[in-house]
Parts: sequence; structure tokens; C-alpha cells
Amino acid sequence: MTERKPLFEFKNVHVKVDETEVVNGVSLKIYPGETHAIMGPNGSGKSSLANALMGNPSYTITKGEVYLDGENMLEMEPDKRSLAGLFLAFQYPLPIPGVTVANFLRSAVKARRAKDDDMSDFRKTLKAEMDGLSIDHPFAARYLNDGFSGGEKKRIEILQLAMLKPKMALLDETDSGLDIDALKIVAQGINRFHSDKNGILLITHYQRMLNYVKPDFVHVMMRGKFVKEGGPGLAMELEEKGYEWVEQETAQKVEV
Amino acid sequence: MSVEQLKDKSETDYNIEELAEELTNGPDWLTDQRRNSQKVFNDTPVPRRGLHLWRYTDPYQFLFNREKMTETEVSANHASVEKTAVSQFKENNTSCLAIDLSGREIKISGAENFQKDGLVVSSLSRAVTSHPELVEKYLYQLVGNKTGKFEAMNGALWHDGVFIYLPDGKQLEKPLHILHDAGRENSSSFPRVLIVVGKNSELTVIDEYSGGSTDSEKGISYSNGVVEIFGEQDSRTRYVFLQRQASAIKSYYTYRSQIERGASMLTIALSFGGALTKQNFGITLNGPGAESTIYGLLFGTDRQHFDNHTIHQHSAGQTRSDIKFKVVLRDKSVSAYTGLIRIEHDAKTCEAYQENRNLLLNKGTRAETIPELEILNEDVSCSHGATIGPIDPDMVFYLTSRGLSKSEAVRTIVSGFVADILKLLPDDLKQRISGFVEQRLENI
Ligand SMILES: Nc1ncnc2c1ncn2[C@@H]1O[C@H](COP(=O)(O)OP(=O)(O)OP(=O)(O)O)[C@@H](O)[C@H]1O
Ligand SMILES: [Mg+2]
Repeated sequence: MTERKPLFEFKNVHVKVDETEVVNGVSLKIYPGETHAIMGPNGSGKSSLANALMGNPSYTITKGEVYLDGENMLEMEPDKRSLAGLFLAFQYPLPIPGVTVANFLRSAVKARRAKDDDMSDFRKTLKAEMDGLSIDHPFAARYLNDGFSGGEKKRIEILQLAMLKPKMALLDETDSGLDIDALKIVAQGINRFHSDKNGILLITHYQRMLNYVKPDFVHVMMRGKFVKEGGPGLAMELEEKGYEWVEQETAQKVEV
Repeated sequence: MSVEQLKDKSETDYNIEELAEELTNGPDWLTDQRRNSQKVFNDTPVPRRGLHLWRYTDPYQFLFNREKMTETEVSANHASVEKTAVSQFKENNTSCLAIDLSGREIKISGAENFQKDGLVVSSLSRAVTSHPELVEKYLYQLVGNKTGKFEAMNGALWHDGVFIYLPDGKQLEKPLHILHDAGRENSSSFPRVLIVVGKNSELTVIDEYSGGSTDSEKGISYSNGVVEIFGEQDSRTRYVFLQRQASAIKSYYTYRSQIERGASMLTIALSFGGALTKQNFGITLNGPGAESTIYGLLFGTDRQHFDNHTIHQHSAGQTRSDIKFKVVLRDKSVSAYTGLIRIEHDAKTCEAYQENRNLLLNKGTRAETIPELEILNEDVSCSHGATIGPIDPDMVFYLTSRGLSKSEAVRTIVSGFVADILKLLPDDLKQRISGFVEQRLENI
């Protein structure tokens, strides 16, 4: 039997923002087909970690290693990481005035294909994926995230996921800002994308999302560290007992 | 002729001598206007550096030794530019085409198709005799010898220009296209345009400025132009000013329009070319219900220098004005923008908005923005804003995180920045302009 290799792996990652270390040594292995969730209080460093993994220049990885399918991500610019199969759905997607959703997605899809590749299927695929996420077609002609509602932005992030089909998707609070029906639609979109070949790392505050997108593992992040790991049951427990409970538990561990 | 040489001379060296014989042809009123302008130019001192509107640009740059200037043949790229204009006309994208070869020759095509509507598209020199009352009534009325020294220079020296008159109650569906060629190195030109849009009429004009010296080693060329536009009651005018001159020309342009009760005016000012360009766009809202919008877009590269002014003059109440002036700079280009909103004491319940946004694509570029408000009554709603800065790195990150290269991300963001202005243009022109923008984003 061949050894199972992780699809995505980061080891002992430290992240600095503005001279402050906000992530202090986190490690994780995600195997093909797995879904992991990160939960943790506000300001614990979840988004900083996700941004640093994607290569946001404002978030410096001062120490650690990151691999996707055996490729060293830290040697790559964000565009190369994207082309290698990494994807980040942003917590706060930025408006890009004057650039339509369709044109933007066309450029992004084109970047993945050979130079003179035929793009004639693009519109059809885009429409189908929009239908799948219940996004009205006129949205394709709107400027990306410009004046979009919170929920609309999140749907468009998942539309990008569906169009770009990455190997590894980091989803940063894709559930926040969504109403109950939209949550279901977006979760279904994520599940359609998910296969035994790709991986999902979901950052969320709410158990609700995890009812639809079922995690294999839940990690609790506090003050820049993973302090606890468990199965799907951990999310329920957190919902009930809050983060203080984890804090007390870890404190006890240190004492021992 | 370098700037230094110019500065060594005394001001009197730039006097306009006796007017050339061909400039004194025509009716007496016109000769009087020219002579007056000549006198005003000679008597008016060169504006002092640092004074209002001259903080960023040296006025001596627009003075030149007339004796050294030649009447050149058309500019190096004129043939291809004219060809594009002619094919636009033949493909029916434009209704009429007026080609102005440095004022020496004005060629008009297509006007005959609209004669039944009473449309006049003519050289100014012909219009002076064919439509004397009209020309005398309007010419020099918005830009005359009181406007300033350089405006007086044009007033004395314009050779020939373009006259457009659309009578009351007419609509011209397709845009009318004027193409000015500034000649080659060591040439000077004084383009002049007069447009009158009758009551309840509708007209779109594309006013394109091209040509000039391509090589400062061989010599600079100069251009000093004036545009006057009258929008009569309830008229709707769209005016596109397109400056895409060669790299070694210095240009000074003054554009004034006056719109009456219920009239609307959309001015789209696009500037790409020239070594040194000073442009002044002013609109007077002269009757209740008048509405003016100015969209500006300039893209500077290399060491280009742009100095723009806009004026929205609210002379009547219940008028509305809006300005969006966008600037993109790369390499070592610079831009200064001064935007004045003036609302008169008796002009009540006006709305006036002004926004200037500057995108600096690299260090070494420089942009200045000077909003000026002269609001003489309280009953107005008015706002202005300005931004100067580089592209938001978070935007670049967003796009690169989707697989776009960094330079593609920058090009995409800049195209987005200019999109709201390009959206207003007719399709064929939009394509040309986005071509100019893309050209300037090469190797970014
Ligand atoms: N761009 C930035 N500039 C300055 N400080 C930042 C920046 N991004 C994050 N931080 C700081 O880093 C710390 C971690 O923030 P981060 O956004 O990673 O938290 P989070 O776990 O995602 O929180 P939330 O659940 O509220 O989204 C916070 O103290 C935050 O203020
Ligand atoms: Mg966050």
C-alpha cells in the first residue's frame, strides 16, 4: 500500500502583521476528500492565517512551511498559488469598481488555460453555475462586489470557487451574512464542489454551517494557536459551552 | 528652441506683429476683433508664475517666436489618423466629418446630407460670409479678448476654424466628428471651433486634436485652441474633447460653453497626448433647469505634464452641475487639477458636485488637486472630494489570488477605474479609447 500523502499541509506557521505576531506556530495536514473547520474567538488570527497561506503581502509568514500537493507555496506569488490550486473565499470581499463579474471570471478562467484555448464554453458554464447558486444572470454584468449586499458577496465568492475548481479551498466565514435560505444554497454549492480529490478548510463561528458542510475535523484557534482538535462533536460542544471552557481546559493541561 | 532661450528674451519679443494679410480678410467686425485681440495680447503681461492657475505650469512655455515657426505640412501620422476618421464616417458611425489641417484647410464631408434640416457644418471663413449674422452674434462671445492673454492670442491669430449650427428642434442622431491636425515640428496652430445648438435640438460632437512634433530634438510644435459652444433653451449637447497629440507639442486650450434654461450639456474631456498641455473647461449655467456634467479622463506617461481647470458657473438658480475628473499617471508624468464651482448670489437651490480622483501607478508621478468653491448663497447643495494615491494593494491581492498576474491585475483595476467614463462613449470611440488606455498600460 502506498503511503497516503496530504493534499495540503502547513507546519509551524508564524504570521506577522504590522510587526505584531498574530499567528504563533500552527500546523495542519489535510488529506484529499477531507473537510476541516477552524473555529475561534474574534481576533484569534483565523483570517490572518488564511490570508498568509494565500500570499497576501500584508501578512508575512516569518517561519514555517506550506505545501499544496507537494509544491512549496511560500516560493510562489499569490497568482501562482492560485494556478497551483489554492483558493481563498474572503471574509470581506473587496469591491473592484468598473470590473464586471463576468470579465473578471473570464480572466481568471483564462489564466488557467492555454493561451489560445477556446473560451466559447465560458458563458454557458457561468450561467449554469449562477443558476446553481440562485444568482440572477444580470449579476454577471455588475461590477465585482460594488454595492453588493453582504450575502451577495458571499455567493459570488462561491461562484468563483465553482468556476475555478481549486484543489484546496479556504473558506473564511462564508456563512456569515447569509440568510437561512442562502446559507443552504451556498452550502449546497460547496458540497457540489467537494470531491474525494479536493480539500476544504472552513473558518466559521457557527455550528449551523457545519450541519450542511460536515467537517471531519474541528480545530479551535485562540490567540494565534490551535489549542484543541476534535471531531464534528466539538463544534456542538463549543456552541454549548463557549470558548471559555476551552481556555480553562488548556490552562489545566499546562498546569499538569 | 529651448525654454531657456525663450526665457532670455524680453516679453516684447513675443508681440504679435501686424496681422498677416490673410487674417485681415473678411468683414470689418472680424478684423476689429482680431486687432483688439492682438492689442490685448501685446498689452497683457505674461501671467506671473505662482499666481492663480499658474502655480504648476510656466506660462512662457506657451509663448513662442513666431518668426521661427513654419507653416508645415500635415503631421507624420496624419494620413493614418485621417484614414481612421474617414472610415468611421463611411461606416456611418459619424454623420459628418470636418478635417482641420492646422487652419490652412478645412475639409467637410457629409454636411450636404443634413441640409434639409438646416444643419450648417462649414469652415469659419466661409460661414463669415454665408451666415454673417450667426457668426457675428456668437463668435468671441464666450472666449474673447477679455478672457486672457493666451485666449487673445488665438483671437488674433486663428487662421480658419470649424462652425457648426443646428437650428431649433432638430436632432442629429450620429455624432459629428472634427479632426484637427497640428502639423509637424516647429509648427504652430490656432484651432477654433464655434458650435450653436438651437432650442430643443440635440447634437453630439467629437472634437479630436491630433498631430504635432514627435521629436523634441527636431523641434517643438505649439497649439493654442478655443472652443465656444452655445446650448440654447432645452437643447441637449454632448461634446467629446479628445486630445491625442504627439509627444513633443505644447498645447493651450480654452473651452467655454453657455447653456440656457432647461438645456443639458455633457462634456467628456479625454487627454492622452502632448508634452505639456493646459486645458480650461468652463460651463455657464445660464437658465433655470440647466444641467451640466463633465467627465474628465487623462492618462499621463513618460514626462508628460497636464494642467487642467474646470469651472462650473451657476448664473441661474435651479441649475445642476457634476464633475468627475479622473487621472491616471505613470512613469514621471504630472497632473494638476483645479476645479472651481461658482454659484452666484441670486442663483438659489442649485446643486453642484465635484470629484477628482488620481491614480498614481508608480513613485515619481505627481498629482495636485485644488478644489475652489465660491458659493455666494446658502440655499445650495454642494459637495467636492478628491483622492490621490496608488492602487489599493488589497485589490491587487484579490485579483492575483484568482490567478491574474500582478500586471494583469493592475491593468484590470485601471480599466475598471476608467470604465464609467468609457461607458458613455459611442461604441467605436469607446474601442479606440480603451485601445489608448491599454497602450499606456503596456509593460506595467
Ligand atoms: N491588515 C491588518 N492590519 C492590522 N492588524 C491586523 C490586520 N489583519 C489582522 N490584524 C490583527 O490581527 C489579529 C487577528 O485578526 P484576524 O482578522 O486574523 O482574526 P479572526 O480570527 O479572523 O477574527 P474574526 O473572527 O473577527 O474574523 C487582530 O488583532 C487584528 O486586529
Ligand atoms: Mg476573520
